[in-house]
Amino acid sequence: MSDSSRVLLEVVDVSKSVSGPEGRLDILSGVNLAVAKGESFAIVGASGSGKTTLLGLIAGLDTPTTGSIRLDGEALEKMDEEARAAVRRRLVGFVFQSFHLLPALTAEENVMLPLELEGNDDARDRAREALESVGLGARRRHYPAQLSGGEQQRVALARAFVHRPRVLFADEPTGNLDQHTGEHVGDLLFELNRVHATTLILVTHDPHLAGRCTRSAALHDGRLGVVA
Amino acid sequence: MNVLRLALRTLRREWHLVELRTLAASLVLAVVALGVVATLSTRIERGVLASAAELIGGDMGISAPSALPAPLVDAARQRGLSSTRGATFPSVAFVDQRSQLVDVLASDASYPLRGTLEIRGIDGQDRVAHAPPPGEVYLDHRAMVGLGIQPGQTVQLGGRDLKVTAELIRLPDGGELFALAPRAMMSLDDANAAGLLATGSRARHRLLVAGTLAEVADWRRFVETQSLPQGAELITPEQTQERMRTAFDRASSFLRLTALLSALLAGVAIALAASRYARRKTNEVALLRALGTPRRRVAALLIATLAALALPAAAIGVVISLALAQGAWYFASQMFAGVPTTLPLSPAFASAAVGLAVLAGFALPPLVRLAEVPPVAVFRDSVSRSVRRFDALYLVPLVVALALVWLQADSAKLAGILAVSLTGVAVVAAGLSALLLWIARRVAPGAHPALRLGLAALARRRGLSLIQATALSLGLCALLLLAVIAPALLDGWRRELPADTPNWFALNLQDDQRADFEHRLAGLGANKLNMLPLAVGKLTAINDKPIAQLTFKDERAKDWSDRQLRLSWSGDLPPSNVLVGGQWSGERPAQAEVSIDTTWRDMFGLKIGDRMRFVIGEGEVEARVASVRQVDWSSFRVNFFLLLDPAHAADLPHTWLASFYLPRGHADDLARLSRDYGNLSLVDVDALLDRVREIVDRVGSAVRWVLGFSLLAGALVLAAALAASAQERRHEAALLRTLGARRGQLRAAAACEFALLGLVAGLTAALGATGAGIWLGNAIFHIEGFVPPLWPLIGAAALAAFVVMAIGLFGTRKVLRTSPMELLRE
Repeated sequence: MSDSSRVLLEVVDVSKSVSGPEGRLDILSGVNLAVAKGESFAIVGASGSGKTTLLGLIAGLDTPTTGSIRLDGEALEKMDEEARAAVRRRLVGFVFQSFHLLPALTAEENVMLPLELEGNDDARDRAREALESVGLGARRRHYPAQLSGGEQQRVALARAFVHRPRVLFADEPTGNLDQHTGEHVGDLLFELNRVHATTLILVTHDPHLAGRCTRSAALHDGRLGVVA
Repeated sequence: MNVLRLALRTLRREWHLVELRTLAASLVLAVVALGVVATLSTRIERGVLASAAELIGGDMGISAPSALPAPLVDAARQRGLSSTRGATFPSVAFVDQRSQLVDVLASDASYPLRGTLEIRGIDGQDRVAHAPPPGEVYLDHRAMVGLGIQPGQTVQLGGRDLKVTAELIRLPDGGELFALAPRAMMSLDDANAAGLLATGSRARHRLLVAGTLAEVADWRRFVETQSLPQGAELITPEQTQERMRTAFDRASSFLRLTALLSALLAGVAIALAASRYARRKTNEVALLRALGTPRRRVAALLIATLAALALPAAAIGVVISLALAQGAWYFASQMFAGVPTTLPLSPAFASAAVGLAVLAGFALPPLVRLAEVPPVAVFRDSVSRSVRRFDALYLVPLVVALALVWLQADSAKLAGILAVSLTGVAVVAAGLSALLLWIARRVAPGAHPALRLGLAALARRRGLSLIQATALSLGLCALLLLAVIAPALLDGWRRELPADTPNWFALNLQDDQRADFEHRLAGLGANKLNMLPLAVGKLTAINDKPIAQLTFKDERAKDWSDRQLRLSWSGDLPPSNVLVGGQWSGERPAQAEVSIDTTWRDMFGLKIGDRMRFVIGEGEVEARVASVRQVDWSSFRVNFFLLLDPAHAADLPHTWLASFYLPRGHADDLARLSRDYGNLSLVDVDALLDRVREIVDRVGSAVRWVLGFSLLAGALVLAAALAASAQERRHEAALLRTLGARRGQLRAAAACEFALLGLVAGLTAALGATGAGIWLGNAIFHIEGFVPPLWPLIGAAALAAFVVMAIGLFGTRKVLRTSPMELLRE
């Protein structure tokens, strides 16, 4: 990854420690990673290996204790929360394991959220398009509680892609779904990623899903292993 | 494991939940708000009553036309009450050849038990005293002028020679404005020895008692079980004077209203916290049901958990409210200097009971509904969560609130007005909120991003927004009502006692003295002079039937028909008189006509067209009842039960009665003037006016104190209500932050959201308070032509928007700082 113009994410010697009741706890140490634009990259690991912490850091939700993280050329560790929020708004889309749709909003309103934050005037139209693209155009007025798990995750996918992010972070996107639905959502995720030419960074313990990515790396006890 | 143990365990486990803590805090607040208001109100009412007791010379008493039975005195003594016996009767005092009719109060040495008897001794010094010992008499200024004597001389009363040892200045006589005859006070022993109280005399016997509230109440219950002499009447502080009664009625209505509205505010907070708790518990209940727990047991567990939380919270509320009420009294009591009262405990406990009832009414319905969650909900959340935007369940608290209004208001009329007003406010608030949300949807695309997000936030929680706006409107309406009614109430009272209320009365003025007297008064700076003719006579027949042959249901009628009556005449309907029947006679009706007051109409069963015959001096007049008047006896004007027409009455033997306002400091000039008119009696009512003003001020202070606490309670409950939605906002803020929302964006959106919420609530509340204020002001407080001030209300609505925004932002400041990482950790 020497060509910096092709690198979207560059993580250099990142560590994250927290202080707990039994003293300092190192969650991540000496993590190095580079992901190219348009690439799909999976971070795999067992529960408690630090996957979620690493995702939080590279997505700009949190700051590392040491090391540097550059997302699309911007050094996240030097930014305050407001600046990182601006980067997220501009560059990042998210898909979560437990969907995180707002229960009081319809599917359409949930998808509109990132656009509303940008102050977009055509939020509703674009949200409809996004829902059409995940096959839920007919259910845009439904509330999350009226949708199945798979449908909810498809709404979350529509929300993630609706503002055309440069990078999509997905945290166990199929973790709450059965195998069949999970595969369907996985297909959709990779399809949207391809269509929108988005960089996909995926955290999962599902080897099958990880295998669909162009590259993957394993986290073990806070250290990133072999990048395949 | 039994339900209680399981409930306690659940409570211990769940104590960290915000909703549960909010629920407990709301209940504590409810009990504190109710308790402080109720305790303070009770205490202040007692203070006001105690100060009114000063006007009758005791806490309670009984009067009768014949001697009072000994058991009444014994019962008072057994209950630890102090007592005094006495009698009032008319008699004639003699000094040499001069005589003077006097109203005598004969009393034992204990009188007065409350208040002060003020006299001016032979040495000219004023002092506080008790009833005179045997052989002595106190006479008021008029009696001494009438008899032409000075203190130190002797008068003959009831055949006994009594030494005038003091001039009677002020006595706790029930606040009667002025007696027709001059006053004298003598020892009861002398009166008995002189045979003045023997059977057949026109004496009215009385017994006054004083003690603690409980002792007096106990004695009253005893008295009410006794067979009392015919014509016996209880003397209570409230009954002493019409003006006082009006003040008490208004004060107690207001205090009840204040406490009631505080309770409703607390209910709003409880409802919000409880429904949030119920939502939180849905999954757990579904799991319990799935594991085989019967529905009934789930319900029992929920109720037991609630009870385990509620009882200690209520107890804490009682303790805090007592402490706060005690603290508040420490400051308020300065208004009631010298009025001893103890901290009443029962209102705080009663408030705890009401608080628990509010909790049950507002919290149990969602929890009972919760128990109905089917086991299958463990698999599918949507089974347990209704997607309806407005749940009919919220009507249950409304019903409880109305029941509470009914119970607390203690007046069907007040309850009705409040219930209709508050329901109206709720409907208008819901309608306005729905309209705002509808507009929001249409204007949102073109609005400023912060406003759009704020509107979107309101629209996102459509159901909750409607409920919150309605709840806030009700709360604000309550507060505005207090803010609108209270000042108007005080102003109303003040207006009835303007600074230039006539403070002197001149009696016995003759026709030929009028012009000169008027001229000299003007020279002294007197104003508001009003002169009325005054004739003294007796009613002899109604419709040609001699009065002695008539029987009346109302015992007072007999009493009045024996008395010397005061009659006057006027061509115009006097101020503070309202015609309620017939036609006003005017200056010159064809035949003699009389206008009667409603009391006389009711006592004698009179109707328009009846003929009444009076003997006045040596003349006689027969007049047709031409009109009936409602007289405001609480006004400080001279009023008459009977008014004749001037054309037929002007020739009757009469004197003139003058009332006027003389600025303070001119009493000496007036005394000089008085000496030039030997026949004139001057009555100074400044002292009485001061008393009344003082008592009105005390009631005013009470209202302000209670108002202050209600506003505080309202603000606290408002904050609790907003805190109930914090959990949802937290999740939402984390998500929005994750999606890239700036903190300022969230803050501006929250400010817009709360300001809009506050504006809707404020406007609705202002509308509601205006309507209810007009209604209450006229129907309950009897403030004529009461119109709530418009600009303050509009200002209050704007202020409400600002305050709700400030409270909202303050309450959500932590939420707005939520780290987006929380979302990944959930």
